[in-house]
Amino acid sequence: MSRKGFFTDSTVCIGCKACEVACKQWNQLPDDGFQFTGMSYDQTGDLGCSTWRHVAFVERPVPMPGHSTGVGDFSWLMVSDVCKHCQRAGCLEACPTGAIVRTEFDTVYVQPDVCNGCGYCVVGCPFGVIDRRPDDGRAWKCTLCYDRIGEGMTPACAKACPTESIVYGDLDVLHERADNRLRELHSQGIISAYLYGKDAKNQPGTGGLNAFFLLVDRPEAYNLPPDPVVPTMKAGQAWGAVAVGALGMAAMAVGAVLLGRRGDS
Amino acid sequence: MSARDGDDTFLDRLQRRSDGRNVNPALGTLLGEGAQQRVTDLDRANPAHGFQAQVPSHFVADTAEAPSYHGLAAIKQPVWIATVPAYLFVGGVAGAASLLGLAIDVLGEKSMEPLARRCRLLGTAGDMLSAGLLIADLGRPTRFLNMLRVFRPTSPMSVGSWVLALSGALNSVGLVLGRSRGVLGVTGKVAGYSAAMLGMPLAGYTAVLLNNTAIPLWQSTRRTLPLFFMASASASAGSLLSLAPHTEREAEVLRPYRLAGKAAEVVMAHAVELDARRAPEVARPLSEGLSGTLWKTSRACSLAGLVVDALPGRQRWKQVAADMLTTVGAVAARFAVFHGGQASARNPQATFRPQRQGHGAAEVTGHAVASDGKPWSFPLPVVR
Repeated sequence: MSRKGFFTDSTVCIGCKACEVACKQWNQLPDDGFQFTGMSYDQTGDLGCSTWRHVAFVERPVPMPGHSTGVGDFSWLMVSDVCKHCQRAGCLEACPTGAIVRTEFDTVYVQPDVCNGCGYCVVGCPFGVIDRRPDDGRAWKCTLCYDRIGEGMTPACAKACPTESIVYGDLDVLHERADNRLRELHSQGIISAYLYGKDAKNQPGTGGLNAFFLLVDRPEAYNLPPDPVVPTMKAGQAWGAVAVGALGMAAMAVGAVLLGRRGDS
Repeated sequence: MSARDGDDTFLDRLQRRSDGRNVNPALGTLLGEGAQQRVTDLDRANPAHGFQAQVPSHFVADTAEAPSYHGLAAIKQPVWIATVPAYLFVGGVAGAASLLGLAIDVLGEKSMEPLARRCRLLGTAGDMLSAGLLIADLGRPTRFLNMLRVFRPTSPMSVGSWVLALSGALNSVGLVLGRSRGVLGVTGKVAGYSAAMLGMPLAGYTAVLLNNTAIPLWQSTRRTLPLFFMASASASAGSLLSLAPHTEREAEVLRPYRLAGKAAEVVMAHAVELDARRAPEVARPLSEGLSGTLWKTSRACSLAGLVVDALPGRQRWKQVAADMLTTVGAVAARFAVFHGGQASARNPQATFRPQRQGHGAAEVTGHAVASDGKPWSFPLPVVR
């Protein structure tokens, strides 16, 4: 099986939210209420247990080549956010039940019949993707349409995307496509464009993302961390501190008993 | 919020009562991945825009150089309930008490036997209570045994579940068989000793459980929080054992043990603060809001508990006051760290800024640019 993923090109996203709707429909995810957030055209807010695709809208007072808005220095960025299916996945490495597995397509999948809702993956994800549904008690996230790609179909969001902003396919094909697109943009004068999380070189903390992005502003503007790290990478130092602490605890217990001795009785 | 409440008509409520997902089941079968979700009620609102997002923020304002996405949190808050910080305290006490019991058994005199037994009792009771507290927090408590389906060294939650399960089982066996003769007695002793050795990781792993997450406050205190939790566990175990009735002779062991733990706890709490302050945004919850109040309370109580205990004089009331203060301080510290983690998860700049200063993956991989190709902003990361 080849490694599958998404390449999400923010420069051709038109913010139509077809991906959000297609994802909700195919996966039959529950409605998460109707609300007006006042945050540009984003009424969804963030990814969660019943939102597996989320279109971010960024309005900024910065001109963009090729954008003529009629209101002076202004540009409007959209990008469809999704679970990144990291090579070093924080949720997978944190899962104590084995509910989260890596599939034959190199994606990360949560098995709902195993998850016991301990909530450790929720804090383990450096992107804030996976979440536990309160009334269901289990963790949920994008499956990269595991049920569709197994049948040779395209995931619902990529299928519904009208501008090919979301492209699904083999990772090596996507990497080539992304590199070509980046070269094209740079030649058009959009020098701020870059690939976010394409490989371990770009993002050593996650080992690269199977769902990577082409962005034109800082990651923070799209609610993405600039230098994410899978927590496990740093856990060695914490375990080392536990080893030191164990020596200390033992020394305290033994020392107190020896201090309290009175010859032999 | 109020606008949303306003559109909640009687029909809406009726529909929600009959069907949690706002679809007519007659229209088709629900077989999709998300259809397995149990939905009792529609989400009232995205938590990202709940009350927390409405109050004026204490967080630093976004700038062109350090933007955030509409001020929304970059990572998810812990979904745990209050039983988890309670467990952080109880599990630590259980581990430390078991360990003291072992030390007394091996090195102590015959007259200390009752104290060792009380230590083992406290350890076993703590293990049992810990298991209950943890199961209460699970989203699907009936599946708690799934924790023992696999052993995953990368997950402190998995390591800890095994440590707690083994510690509880061995402690119980040790308590039941400890006084028997012959083979049973030896089995009981070995079980009790093994459980006591597991007491050390039991007291320490709870900190690693927090450190091994994406929550900025927890991740950045990974060098000191385990030491603080373990010191605090020894101090609380010593205090609780001293609060229970004990003889003059036993006090000669308990007093040095307790004092050493209390002193270590006060020192390590300060170290945790210094560790968090490496990035100003990260340390914010330790001085502001609910978690800040809890943390300051805990520092004051722990220090008072140490000072009052170290004062000359051996009156019972003085020692009881000191031990109560220490216990309150230790419990408050667990809740402070827990709520501080939640506050730090809510603040997007606590996630972004330290990473921009090279405190993200760069701390372990040593690369020099962020994912967008920009070099780290000053101040340069501290080389340790």
